[in-house]
Amino acid sequence: MIYAYAFVAIAACVGIERFHDRRVKIAIALALAAFLAIAPRFYGNEAVFSVLADAAVYVMLALGLNIVVGFAGLLDLGYAAFFAIGAYTYGMLASPQFGLHLPFWVLLFLAAALAALFGALLGAPTLRLHGDYLAIVTLGFGEIVPQIFQNLTKYTGGPNGIAALDVPTFFGHSFGASVMPYYYIALVGIVFALWISRNLRESRLGRAWMAIREDELAAKHAGIDVLRSKLAAFAIGASFSGIGGVLFAAKLALVSPDLFGFQVSVLIVSMLVLGGMGNIVGVVVGSLLLTIVNSALLPQINSLVDSTFHTTVDLSNIHFLIYGAILVGIMLFRPEGLLPNKERRAELHHAGEPEAEA
Amino acid sequence: MHEFLAQLANGVELGAIYALIALGYTLVYGILELINFAHGDVYTFGSFTALVVLVALRAANVLHGAGLILGIVAALVVAILACALLNAGIERLAYRRLRKAPRLAPLITAIGVSFMLENLIELWQGSAPVPFPNVIPNPELEIGALQIGVQQIVVVALAVVTMIALHYFVQRSRLGKAMRAVAQDRDAAALVGIDVDRTIAVTFLIAGALAGVAGFVGGVSFGSAWFLNGFGAGLRAFTAAVLGGIGNIAGAMLGGFLIGLLESFSTWFIGGQWSNVAVFSVLILVLVFRPSGLLGESLPEKV
Amino acid sequence: MSILDLVQVTKRFGALTAVSNVTVTVEEGAIFGIIGPNGAGKSTLFNLLTAIYRFDEGSIAIGGTSIAGLTTQRIAKLGVARTFQNLRLFGNASALANVMVGEHLLLRANVVDSLLDTARERRERAEAERRARELLRFVGIAGVDEQFARNLPYGTQRRLEIARALAARPRLLLLDEPAAGLNPSEKRDLLTLIRAIRDTGATVLLIEHDMGLVMNLCERIAVLDYGVKIAEGAPSEIREHPRVIEAYLGAPA
Repeated sequence: MIYAYAFVAIAACVGIERFHDRRVKIAIALALAAFLAIAPRFYGNEAVFSVLADAAVYVMLALGLNIVVGFAGLLDLGYAAFFAIGAYTYGMLASPQFGLHLPFWVLLFLAAALAALFGALLGAPTLRLHGDYLAIVTLGFGEIVPQIFQNLTKYTGGPNGIAALDVPTFFGHSFGASVMPYYYIALVGIVFALWISRNLRESRLGRAWMAIREDELAAKHAGIDVLRSKLAAFAIGASFSGIGGVLFAAKLALVSPDLFGFQVSVLIVSMLVLGGMGNIVGVVVGSLLLTIVNSALLPQINSLVDSTFHTTVDLSNIHFLIYGAILVGIMLFRPEGLLPNKERRAELHHAGEPEAEA
Repeated sequence: MHEFLAQLANGVELGAIYALIALGYTLVYGILELINFAHGDVYTFGSFTALVVLVALRAANVLHGAGLILGIVAALVVAILACALLNAGIERLAYRRLRKAPRLAPLITAIGVSFMLENLIELWQGSAPVPFPNVIPNPELEIGALQIGVQQIVVVALAVVTMIALHYFVQRSRLGKAMRAVAQDRDAAALVGIDVDRTIAVTFLIAGALAGVAGFVGGVSFGSAWFLNGFGAGLRAFTAAVLGGIGNIAGAMLGGFLIGLLESFSTWFIGGQWSNVAVFSVLILVLVFRPSGLLGESLPEKV
Repeated sequence: MSILDLVQVTKRFGALTAVSNVTVTVEEGAIFGIIGPNGAGKSTLFNLLTAIYRFDEGSIAIGGTSIAGLTTQRIAKLGVARTFQNLRLFGNASALANVMVGEHLLLRANVVDSLLDTARERRERAEAERRARELLRFVGIAGVDEQFARNLPYGTQRRLEIARALAARPRLLLLDEPAAGLNPSEKRDLLTLIRAIRDTGATVLLIEHDMGLVMNLCERIAVLDYGVKIAEGAPSEIREHPRVIEAYLGAPA
């Protein structure tokens, strides 16, 4: 069941990528959107849509990180920190923790703004750093944020986090226990994120990012304000993660510091690498594939192995082996990812050695 | 005063371990400009190989008298060899193809290797910390107001001896000179007849060997080994390397001891749960205000 | 009126004085050449003009505005654009996109316009694209628009870089060895192109090794040797100047 949805979505993405005619692309996208919106009335159950809703949140996160890594070329290894900030915004302001019960819809925007603010705060002093130094600083930030949430027990519930978060309402109708509202909200979120991503890629700012990614010094000579452009990438990327965090926390009705560690940051980087950094559709495919492998395929293989051989293997133990192998394998054998745009693939395979970064 | 001295000794002990790991980061960075993210996990692997050897020897009941010393040496040597080979193997399989790729590619690969190693070690030794055989007798010595364990002395002594040996190797030996030449200018080194691939492989062997020493020493010092140890220790050690000036051997040692002291005193003053925050804040501050580190030189951008 | 005034500019790297007490004035609308043997400090001088390096002494003014303390980006805003000795194109982007980046300062779209693809963003993009295609035609490489910069032949890349620099509509265009690596026929085309650029109203300042080209093209030439300006004048004066002959041919016979 879940594979049917994933297959349709991925097939549609490949179609969008391969057809040249703009009208065909739009037609496929609309058909996919209609299918994902209407099909739940006929096929599937809560469990399936729970996984798909999670997948959709990850797609949003990956699209956000793609702006930072794929567009602006800044490797951010602490992206989960902004996810945590979004989730805790909901956790602290829509729960018995402080007796504040701000509405879900307000918090979506607030979390986006807060995450963007923290993105800018982290970026302002550190974005002068280059390449792997920036990667390590963001990693450090990603380690500090959950730790702070863990340590400030008085405000954040400490290691146990905050439970019993408010159930969101929509014009007075409670979401109840159903996952469907989250599924639909996440779908809308993806459409929005895709639209923003496309706008940015074609925009003046998007060209400035391209220039910075390719040759920062030449970008400066074209009059581009490098620091401000990078800050914009950090803030916009972080805001996607903040929104994702609110959705995630509300659906789980729980936040705790161990949900936002380094593994989450690397998971999202893996999605980008798998799908093809910088390519919007590729990133969607990468994140769908990894989430499905994680939450559906592995458990199923697991139970298949167990029932066939009467064992109690736990394949969830090898998640990290799989992410790691994906990162290494893709970098060594298909550095452009599974679904790069055509030009990039042509260039990586025909132009000889990739150019060393300046 | 007692507490202060105890924390000081503690910090130096921690620092010795971080310094050994930091040297591995710095050697590899110096020669390839690569943050070998998997280095921390090589250290973990060292702890576990030493642990496995010691457990086997204890089961064979040979760990007494001269057998004890031989056993400890055997565990140390096995850890060194295993880590050296592992690290060189990683370079050969995962990094070599990417020498000319954009900088982020090998870093992402290194993160992938790190995840795989952590998972493999977990599959091998389980997800709970494993107690490290308590083989080195540990009577407390009193030197004035300072109480210090024999283990602590052994740990620090072993680390310092290793560092001195490394220093002489890099400064005096043919291979060491080749390493410095390749680090300065790979193409020029190749032109004067230095085998660059071999020199890089040797660098990874040595970095791995240092991680092996650190793994053994860390196991003795912490009394346990855990599959995720290398992540935290690796980040601290990397911070140490950056603090000292990455690529700079003396800097890595200095940075290691400073980070060890910072961790031990921050634990004392503000609590262990904040030590991560303290260490990473230092990392961020150093990178922002003095990215070349305490002993590093800053170079102008080339055009 | 002068567009560029260097007054007693000095730049040291440690014990080495790369540029020593150099005074040069470039008149608006000129084609001005800087020549000198390798290591004479020509590239350093360019790097001082775009704040890649900071000068230690003296003053530099562009269109009457001092550039002391200004960043590379601010200097670009004063109307300075340049090319590089070892091409610095955006290799993994199309030729068109390369030129459109050059137009960055002509556009007004802000972050919100970019996020929401507003009418202003779309209008500016269409205009920028049209101008970029025009520029590619102007420098003589029409038709490569969609190709990746790195896949273009060397001579085309050189022209593309000039197009990118021109896209900012600079008052002062700095060309760093534009003829390096070009064959004689390409050099002749370059000569025509640079004159055409000047005719659009820009001032051209160029560093060049090819003496024939410089003598043909420039109205005025300054000669650097070991960081010191040893001569300045019209090509005919430079050709006869004893110190120039000495610098190029070694000690006088």
